[in-house]
Amino acid sequence: MFLRRLSTAISEAEKSHFNSLAASWWDTTGPQRILHKMNLVRMDFINETLRSHVKINAGVPDEQKTFVPGWNHHNVLPGPVAESIQTEINRRIAQELSRPRLSCLDIGCGGGILSESLARLPMVASVRGIDLSPEVIRVADRHKALDPAITDKIDYQLKSIEQLDKDDQYDVVTMMEMLEHVEYPALVLQTAMQHVKKDGFLFLSTINRDLVSWLTTIVFGEYVLRIVPVGTHTYSKYIDRREIAEFVDETQFRVVDARGCTYVPLRGWVFTSLPDTGNYLMALQRME
Amino acid sequence: MSLRFLSTARAQLADIVIIGGGPAGLTLAAAVKNSPVLSSLNCKLVEGGNLIGPLNSFSQNPPSNFTNRVVSLTPSTISYLSDIGVWKHIKEDRVESYDNIVAWDGVSGAQIDFNGPSLATMCETTNLQSALLARIEELNEETGIMDNIKVENITSDETNGWPVLQLSSGESLKTRLLVGCDGYNSPVRKFAQIESRGWSYNRWGIVATLRFKNGEFRYPTGWQRFLPSGPVALLPLPDNWTSLVWSTKPEYADILLKLDDDAFLAMVNAAVKLPVEELEFLYNQAHEDPENLVGEITWRLNVFNDKLSPQEMEKYPLELDTIVAKSRAKFPLKMSHADTYVEDRVALVGDAAHTTHPLAGQGLNMGQADVKSLVAVLEKAMERGLDIGTKLALEPYFSERYPANHVLLGVVDKLHKIYSTDIAPIVMARSFGVNVLNTVPFVKDYMVSRMGE
Ligand SMILES: Cc1cc2nc3c(=O)[nH]c(=O)nc-3n(C[C@H](O)[C@H](O)[C@H](O)COP(=O)(O)OP(=O)(O)OC[C@H]3O[C@@H](n4cnc5c(N)ncnc54)[C@H](O)[C@@H]3O)c2cc1C
Repeated sequence: MFLRRLSTAISEAEKSHFNSLAASWWDTTGPQRILHKMNLVRMDFINETLRSHVKINAGVPDEQKTFVPGWNHHNVLPGPVAESIQTEINRRIAQELSRPRLSCLDIGCGGGILSESLARLPMVASVRGIDLSPEVIRVADRHKALDPAITDKIDYQLKSIEQLDKDDQYDVVTMMEMLEHVEYPALVLQTAMQHVKKDGFLFLSTINRDLVSWLTTIVFGEYVLRIVPVGTHTYSKYIDRREIAEFVDETQFRVVDARGCTYVPLRGWVFTSLPDTGNYLMALQRME
Repeated sequence: MSLRFLSTARAQLADIVIIGGGPAGLTLAAAVKNSPVLSSLNCKLVEGGNLIGPLNSFSQNPPSNFTNRVVSLTPSTISYLSDIGVWKHIKEDRVESYDNIVAWDGVSGAQIDFNGPSLATMCETTNLQSALLARIEELNEETGIMDNIKVENITSDETNGWPVLQLSSGESLKTRLLVGCDGYNSPVRKFAQIESRGWSYNRWGIVATLRFKNGEFRYPTGWQRFLPSGPVALLPLPDNWTSLVWSTKPEYADILLKLDDDAFLAMVNAAVKLPVEELEFLYNQAHEDPENLVGEITWRLNVFNDKLSPQEMEKYPLELDTIVAKSRAKFPLKMSHADTYVEDRVALVGDAAHTTHPLAGQGLNMGQADVKSLVAVLEKAMERGLDIGTKLALEPYFSERYPANHVLLGVVDKLHKIYSTDIAPIVMARSFGVNVLNTVPFVKDYMVSRMGE
């Protein structure tokens, strides 16, 4: 109980820091430019994941299902046949991508940079953004009102993840640059997982190398895998990515993708092939 | 106050408003409608002039003569127009492709090795515009084109900063993104307070539609002679027709435009052959004694032609003997470049962002490359869920196009300057060719210092 109450309690120092940022949140030429630029990479990551996992036959009666061969039809079938299968698959995917069908939860939404971007995707039906700072929620609310296309798609709430209804489940849950700000990340992560629908996704990101190490160590090591006693707070026990993958396999989740990204002056944020260093994006999918 | 509030409140909302139905604006409208990612956007185009009527009548009853605004399209422009489904609507019997360009120095006579396009295609601007309109109509009956409507005023909405356009029809439009395809005097550029820098060339471009005398067969060829007063170019159209682009000093332009059709035709024949001193004499005569001009030129050309061997004859264009009545027009030539192409809620495309000397036939093609880049940038921004009107979303368009356009504007500008002088060392140097000039630093430095003024 005690842990639960404190788990997302953001430290006072963190909070005042956020408040001072709120005013300049949407000035893309100001101090938040780097965050706005980082949002581009996050959106690319989220978009690519969602696009490559479109289910075109879910909930479709058998006789109307699109034929998706489980093997590489381009190698096996005559050209025109393979092509027509592919055309039909592409058509259905495009249809699904333009049908507003996904509900999203943006945990730690801040001024709404990611929430707004999610809301503009044609496949997204609604976005709920939650944050613990009244100031940034106000910034977010004011800003979404400026764009008639998204005003009604987003709903910002001043609440912690624990205050969400237990049965609230979403197709997409995002938790960007959030875990490293909370005092008990493991619980926050577990709580976030509870709000992901079956087949839905949880997207995470963290800030830098040390924090990646910290996250893998403390979050998965101490609290989730319990391979070290809670409270050990040691940086010396790393868990390699295979172990994380194994852990996720044992939960109802699997790691769909993990990518590093890094800031290159003059180019902005780019993906790297090193998900174990620097900034880090991860997509988990609930399997059951 | 309350009235203004009311009119803003009644403004129609749009995602993209394009001002200008020139080649750039229509291409952008077609490309947006053609894009699977952008086609769902509410996109409008406002054109001050009469656009749809004349373009439809061109496509239904094409005039028998070629119109006088003809542009040279590069292969990349054509391949983009094909990609977005426009080229199939072009009346191909009215365009001419050519890969042979003969360019020579009017003072030294040296041939210039032009790094021109491998293949260029001459096309009437109206042909291009009517193909664009046909494509837009094919994609969507609701074209979103409003013509005969001028944008009279542009303000920013007080709450969200979106541009609000007051139209001459009394309506107003409020838009997420305003794209200025509104030509050199771009009202959009002024609204966004973007500086445009450059200079007038103090030259006019005279255009006309002419025809070579029937007889000898020639492969379609572009002819361009660099005179100190500016280049004169004859660019091929089908069936021995040709499009004239003659850049010249204002005082010469005045004289040339006052001549009757026959005298003008004679002056063009003279300008592609006779020495510069003789041409100066002829301008004088054209001014003071235009009645005897045709006779004078005929005599001088006969003397000139008699000295040419058959091989030498091939280095010059055939004689012109027909001009389409009223096809003569003049345009001021200037080089200009906007400091930026994007601001919050605003993008500039085509001549609104840059103008260049027509000697390399690049102006419209640069605008096409702008459109291609902007559309790709908007698609990417949509996929990332960005507000496409924000500077953050538009910045990549500027960083992609500005450097490329800047280089081209510079090269064309240098070419103009190098060839508009008759100072002996420069003439000598340039008869080695532009490329030599560029690779020999001291010659180049000398030229640059001479042309510093
Ligand atoms: C003599 C000459 C020869 C040329 N030859 C070539 C060539 O061979 N190859 C080449 O590539 N380029 C050539 N060019 C350049 C080419 O013509 C231009 O670059 C091209 O036409 C620019 O297209 P645009 O759509 O950007 O602007 P424009 O064609 O200038 O169109 C702007 C439009 O905006 C509209 N507009 C402006 N203000 C308003 C308002 N307030 N409200 C509503 N509408 C408005 C105007 O009515 C106009 O239709 C030549 C230019 C000249 C002068």
